[in-house]
Amino acid sequence: MHVHELNPKKTVITMIIFVVVIIAGLLTIRSPRLKYALTPEQTVLLTASDNGGISPEKLELLLTGSTEKVEVIDIRNHYEFARGHIPGARNISAVELLENDNIKWLRILQEEGFTVVIYGKDQLQANGPWMVFRQIGFSNVTVLLGGYQYYLAYKDNKTQKYAPCKADFNYDEVAKASVADGEDNNQPAKKTTIVRRKKKGGAVAGGC
Amino acid sequence: MNKNYLVLAILMILLAVGLLLVPERQNYQQIEPEKLMWDITQTSRFVTVDQVAQMIIEGDPTLELIDIRPVADFETFSLTNAINIPLDSLMKPDYQDYLGIEDMNVVFYGNSDINADQAWVIAKRMGYNSIYVMQGGLNCWIRKIIQPVEPDESASQEEFDLYQFRKGACAFFTGTKVEAPDAGKTGIKVVKRKKGTAVAGGC
Amino acid sequence: MGPLIPQEIITGQWDFVIALLIGGAFGFILESSGFSSSRNIAGVFYGYNFVVLRVFFTAMIVAMVGLLYFSYFGWIDLDLVFVLPTYLNSMLFGGFLMGLGFVIGGFCPGTSYTAVAIGKIDGIVFATGFLIGVFIFAEGFPFYEGFYTANDLGSITIGEMFGVSNELVAFLFVMMAIVAFYVTWLIEKRVRKNMTEYKFE
Repeated sequence: MHVHELNPKKTVITMIIFVVVIIAGLLTIRSPRLKYALTPEQTVLLTASDNGGISPEKLELLLTGSTEKVEVIDIRNHYEFARGHIPGARNISAVELLENDNIKWLRILQEEGFTVVIYGKDQLQANGPWMVFRQIGFSNVTVLLGGYQYYLAYKDNKTQKYAPCKADFNYDEVAKASVADGEDNNQPAKKTTIVRRKKKGGAVAGGC
Repeated sequence: MNKNYLVLAILMILLAVGLLLVPERQNYQQIEPEKLMWDITQTSRFVTVDQVAQMIIEGDPTLELIDIRPVADFETFSLTNAINIPLDSLMKPDYQDYLGIEDMNVVFYGNSDINADQAWVIAKRMGYNSIYVMQGGLNCWIRKIIQPVEPDESASQEEFDLYQFRKGACAFFTGTKVEAPDAGKTGIKVVKRKKGTAVAGGC
Repeated sequence: MGPLIPQEIITGQWDFVIALLIGGAFGFILESSGFSSSRNIAGVFYGYNFVVLRVFFTAMIVAMVGLLYFSYFGWIDLDLVFVLPTYLNSMLFGGFLMGLGFVIGGFCPGTSYTAVAIGKIDGIVFATGFLIGVFIFAEGFPFYEGFYTANDLGSITIGEMFGVSNELVAFLFVMMAIVAFYVTWLIEKRVRKNMTEYKFE
């Protein structure tokens, strides 16, 4: 056994290093402001069950009936909001949704049993924010099916039915039927191997 | 026995017991809700059906189409070389390997874009990058590519070019279906990602 | 935060700088533990000196527990840390050869270089033989490639293999190490009592 092994200070130094590292570690643990309440698997189930949406008919009933506690949030930007919105809606644009004040407000609404309906210009715009709210634990948040566009259409013509996730066509049939139109089909499909990176916002543009 | 050794041994045992008590390690892969919300407000995740059609026609090897409809729907009709990951099984480990492949651009599509966008949100939360949503879904695909509508005579040259492109794309897609029904399925094989992206190194 | 290079916090060009620093520290610890003396190393076999076992076991459990704490603090992402793939056959055979060389030569690859550094002739001879062995292995690799890559378990950890948490594995290893320290201390005490040719300080 070497003499230096008996140096009592070595033990003290070692202990101090360990303790300092652990204290430093505990101090630097970041606790995130918002935590996910749903696991990704639960989120998948949420989308599969597909009952998160609320139809304009139902929203109308909720808004006119005074017994239900409902808050409507318009997540479009202020300009679009100013041009027209659902009566009684509050405008919080999508980028501001998770600001501290808004989260606080939503927490209060949740405690008081409010139903919060969010909508964008179409359902797609509100879909993401709705999923985020559900994932961080706001189970009282729901999304307006079809968004503002469809809400307006519904106002004009109450018979229209909104079914966003259904197939509008029998794809296979349609794809085959187009062939019979007398198109030039004899040209075989050429398999090119050009490596081409995705161009963002290229010349080809269109909206559905 | 030397007292120092005893003290150090006890320290080590305490630390080891402490390890058993610390809570489960959080998943670093997941991005924070704030970041997720920010990404959602960006519209750069959307690609148009025309862009997708062009990439398929040009045989872009970086394109990875993921069909999130149920298996039965996928089997009756799907886009060229698409992989089927039904939305409800997105989190299954087998399917996870199709995401996050280096240099691949994943494009989700469904009947419309809502379900595809939901798949996108979940994949984004899991920390995957280079993922996109086909705007309008297959409904839009049929309307624009398979049944293109000729623009008015007053329309701009650009719109006519687009119409010409769509006509050509329509011939390409419907044509392949008739000439060789299986031609579409035997294209580029997507290689599954290897587990763990660590640097190589050793002793 | 860590590991630094896979997370692209620093570039891969720092590889060699980091390797130099770690190598220097490793050599320093080997030398200061007395590993440049083949008596200390072969002592494990004869039972009069278990310093090798103690130093390596200590290093292992400190690194193990430390990494898990770092992971808990969010300082390192263990999923990105390289895990050496396990080729069962070659690991078993290589371990056997290494142990044999340990006792016969009195050095392990790292300690032979610390011995070279302090100018020991046996260390120089050992290191030369070691290089020749590496050369022969590399030249003849095609002949035993099949054996080398047989029984590939992949980059697997003990925890994954038995389906237990890494924390539990670390805890068990710490307990094993403490028990090993005590048992080897007892053995050392008994063996040293009967030894006359080698004086212990």
